[in-house]
Amino acid sequence: MYYEFLEDIAQTNRLRDLHPLIKIILGLGCILISVSSQSIVAPLIIIITISFATIFLAGIDFRFYLKLLLIPLGFAVLSVIVIVFMRNSGQILFSYPLGDWFLLTVSYGSLNEGILIFSRVFAGMCSLFFISLTTPVTETFGLAVRCRIPGEFIDLSMLIYRFIFVLIEQAAQIYNAQHMRLGYGNLKEGINSFGMMAGALFINTWNAAENLIMAMDSRCYDGRFAMPDDSAAMSFPLLCLVIVYLMVNTGIAVYTSGFVLFGVAY
Amino acid sequence: MHIMEGFLPSPWWQIWWILALPCIIYGFYKLRSILKENRELLPLLGVAGGFIFVLSALKLPSVTGSCSHPTGTALSAITFGPWITAVLGFIVLLFQALFIAHGGITTLGANAMSMAIVGPVVGYYVYKGLDKINFNFFANVFIAAFLCDIVTYCVTSLELALAFPATAGGFVASFGAFLGVFALTQLPLAIIEGLVFVVIFKYIIMLKPELLIKLKVLSEEKMKKVQGEIEE
Repeated sequence: MYYEFLEDIAQTNRLRDLHPLIKIILGLGCILISVSSQSIVAPLIIIITISFATIFLAGIDFRFYLKLLLIPLGFAVLSVIVIVFMRNSGQILFSYPLGDWFLLTVSYGSLNEGILIFSRVFAGMCSLFFISLTTPVTETFGLAVRCRIPGEFIDLSMLIYRFIFVLIEQAAQIYNAQHMRLGYGNLKEGINSFGMMAGALFINTWNAAENLIMAMDSRCYDGRFAMPDDSAAMSFPLLCLVIVYLMVNTGIAVYTSGFVLFGVAY
Repeated sequence: MHIMEGFLPSPWWQIWWILALPCIIYGFYKLRSILKENRELLPLLGVAGGFIFVLSALKLPSVTGSCSHPTGTALSAITFGPWITAVLGFIVLLFQALFIAHGGITTLGANAMSMAIVGPVVGYYVYKGLDKINFNFFANVFIAAFLCDIVTYCVTSLELALAFPATAGGFVASFGAFLGVFALTQLPLAIIEGLVFVVIFKYIIMLKPELLIKLKVLSEEKMKKVQGEIEE
């Protein structure tokens, strides 16, 4: 499955043994810089460098990475189009009457804003995928423990994470079985089958969960999972490198804040 | 729902984070006290969270900075109440952002506000109100699930419209535009989600009625009445 696949990659990529803190600081830092950037220069640099890190340093297959990015970016393009039509300012690029009363207008100002937002979303996606493709979930949880996030919160998160896979696996099985028996022939049957599946899934997974807790209780579970702290040693030169990289990017974002692609600033 | 990473500009994503955090912290304290009282609920909470994750990961494209999908929050809103659902929803949204880049870290506050807080709160209180006047249980579940879903989208449209008011017509015009585009995909989806949740509750009542009694969703006499309705 798709989700398991991402986790597999996170466990086997070449940056697996890096301290999770470095990877998360890099990812989150890039996100913050690109969101606050007022021009497309800094997000573009982040897109290029982070993608480079994901493909060459972490060794993720280029075509797979592209495929991953394509889905969210498709959504992003659609949404940016709405912004482009709604936020007109400055010189008008073209306008096209749609019916008698509706005028579709695109101006330089809105085009600039649309492109800026698209670049931010793109950079954010690359940074998020960098985190999810290089950092195994267990290490993220380990980091959360060290950040003193309350134990109940982490335990609940880990249980939810566990049950996502149980649910997906069973859902695929039940769905196939229903599909073969023509359970999704028309909408009414489809709703009934889907609800039946969801109800059965909930009850099944709940049973599995109760068994799991019982098994853990009999092994002295006291409301806190033991977390083996096996993450790699912190590498300070690398941490400094990441911080320098982020500072350079911040500088670029501040320095180029007046830059626009089309016409004068809006 | 699920505004993408980087889509909300600077003052707005901070504002939604600040608004969402107190609700989540309050929810967390409620969660802690419930778990202290009854630790058997932990697996059930985990399953309900996983359920929200799986349902809300089924997305369809929509033209508004996000996408349409079922929210799946109705089940835990009705059984655990809205504040615990807020915590579950927050964890789920964090997972979706970190593991499948669906939603985002900066937009997490806004997404949590719409899907994990306002939607379930509205759904839950309407459910409670109708429950008091002895409304039909299944019709009530339908309404609660429908509201959880549709209110989530209204709040998302509001968040987007506040961040991107239209040049002509300002906030109201863009709120209308976002709502209109969402309604296209979301209204049918919300109705389907409502129906699906009715079927889910039907199966839970048929197979594990003690669960709902234990969680005080239904009293025993009411459960008998509802079971009678199913048999008919």
